[in-house]
Amino acid sequence: MDKELIQQIRDKARNLLEEGTVEGVIGYERASDGVTSRPLFVYNPSDTERLIYDETCAHNLVKYLLDKKGKKMAVVVKPCDSRAINLLLNEGQIERDNVFIIGVGCPGMVETNWNHKSETLQAKCRTCQLSKPVVYDFLAGGEIERQAEEETYSDITEEEAKSVATRRGFWLEQFGHCIRCYACRQVCPGCYCPVCFAERLDPLWLGIRIAPEENDMWQTIRSFHLAGRCIGCNECERVCPVGIPLSLLNRKLEKDVKELFAFQAGLDPEEKPPFATFKKEEVMEFEK
Amino acid sequence: MKSEYQPKVIGFLCNWCSYAGADMAGTSRMRYPQNIRIIRVPCSGRVDPLFVVKCFQRGADGVLVSGCHPGDCHYTEGNYHTRRRFALLREFLDYLGIAKERMRVEWVSASEGQKFADLLSDFTAELAGLGPRSKILDG
Ligand code: SF4
Ligand code: SF4
Ligand code: SF4
Ligand code: FES
Repeated sequence: MDKELIQQIRDKARNLLEEGTVEGVIGYERASDGVTSRPLFVYNPSDTERLIYDETCAHNLVKYLLDKKGKKMAVVVKPCDSRAINLLLNEGQIERDNVFIIGVGCPGMVETNWNHKSETLQAKCRTCQLSKPVVYDFLAGGEIERQAEEETYSDITEEEAKSVATRRGFWLEQFGHCIRCYACRQVCPGCYCPVCFAERLDPLWLGIRIAPEENDMWQTIRSFHLAGRCIGCNECERVCPVGIPLSLLNRKLEKDVKELFAFQAGLDPEEKPPFATFKKEEVMEFEK
Repeated sequence: MKSEYQPKVIGFLCNWCSYAGADMAGTSRMRYPQNIRIIRVPCSGRVDPLFVVKCFQRGADGVLVSGCHPGDCHYTEGNYHTRRRFALLREFLDYLGIAKERMRVEWVSASEGQKFADLLSDFTAELAGLGPRSKILDG
């Protein structure tokens, strides 16, 4: 744990609360297993002493801003999570003036389990190029050096090289494990529809029967709804209780959106997302 | 008697161009395969990716989304959105194991009855070549 950095977060949080700049601060505290961390909502200046920050703070806290609309909140935000702020600003879900962003640099998050943290960096962290959040009001700990690998999407090109039938088999097997807990949706900053298509009864797009073909439809549409919107926090995959490699879906779409429309979500709050705009002169593969 | 495999094709045709094009093929008595079930939509921009995925889930062998030529959409720009959306969806479905040849996006105007008939013949033949897909079980 970086004591200096944590002190800066605590001091900032305390100031913001004492001065009444915000109603609450969303950050991290040590979980009850003594090793990992969990989200913490601080409303009382004295509770700011519970705030921590280290390589187990994987949660993307930006999601919680959606529950605090209209309230002034501060939130601790890692570089990857900061793109979710831009996404929500872009989509008119939050107001910039209502959010105070306590940015933190990030050395990379590690894989954790209850009561245990490994030395292994999460896959997304190995290629993360951001040395600081893309948007913030205060940067605790300052900018840090990162030595990230180049993003080559090798996981995706590997899948693409397989035959269509092989891929079909792979995904049906994977979707067969899904228990439709919807944790992947609940945790996602981009999934905030008041009524998700998965719960619409008329028309019933998705049967509630937990069967491979229904699960298939669920994940196909869920991931496609995040096309050009997913900011790559990989929270969906992290929380999936049955370990479905959702990053292979999200990253495929991210890669194609980059290639087809030269767009990456969450980098610029003003830029129009790919499905909100078009170019008259563009030509797609099926038109050739 | 040989029972030939007949692919099931679902076609979403926009009211203003492609549906009229299909109508023209019919009224001009052009021959085309009967494999298509046509669903008329106000504009190709109305076609939600959900519709297409649902068709495949329920066992369609091929899906056609057809609208006015770019620049000619009755609602000015619906088809530009269609183009982007389905360019991405085709790739994605292919990645998930539903070959992209099974999904076509075509621009057919009200006067292009022949084009409609030809494209259906071609699409049906291509799908027949790919063979049946039993629901979601094979691509
Ligand atoms: S899966 Fe789609 S409909 Fe459901 S909450 Fe996410 S974006 Fe909305
Ligand atoms: S789809 Fe997954 S990786 Fe993408 S923004 Fe949502 S939770 Fe994060
Ligand atoms: S978190 Fe995993 S098991 Fe739960 S609905 Fe999502 S994919 Fe299915
Ligand atoms: S009306 Fe034909 S594509 Fe829009």
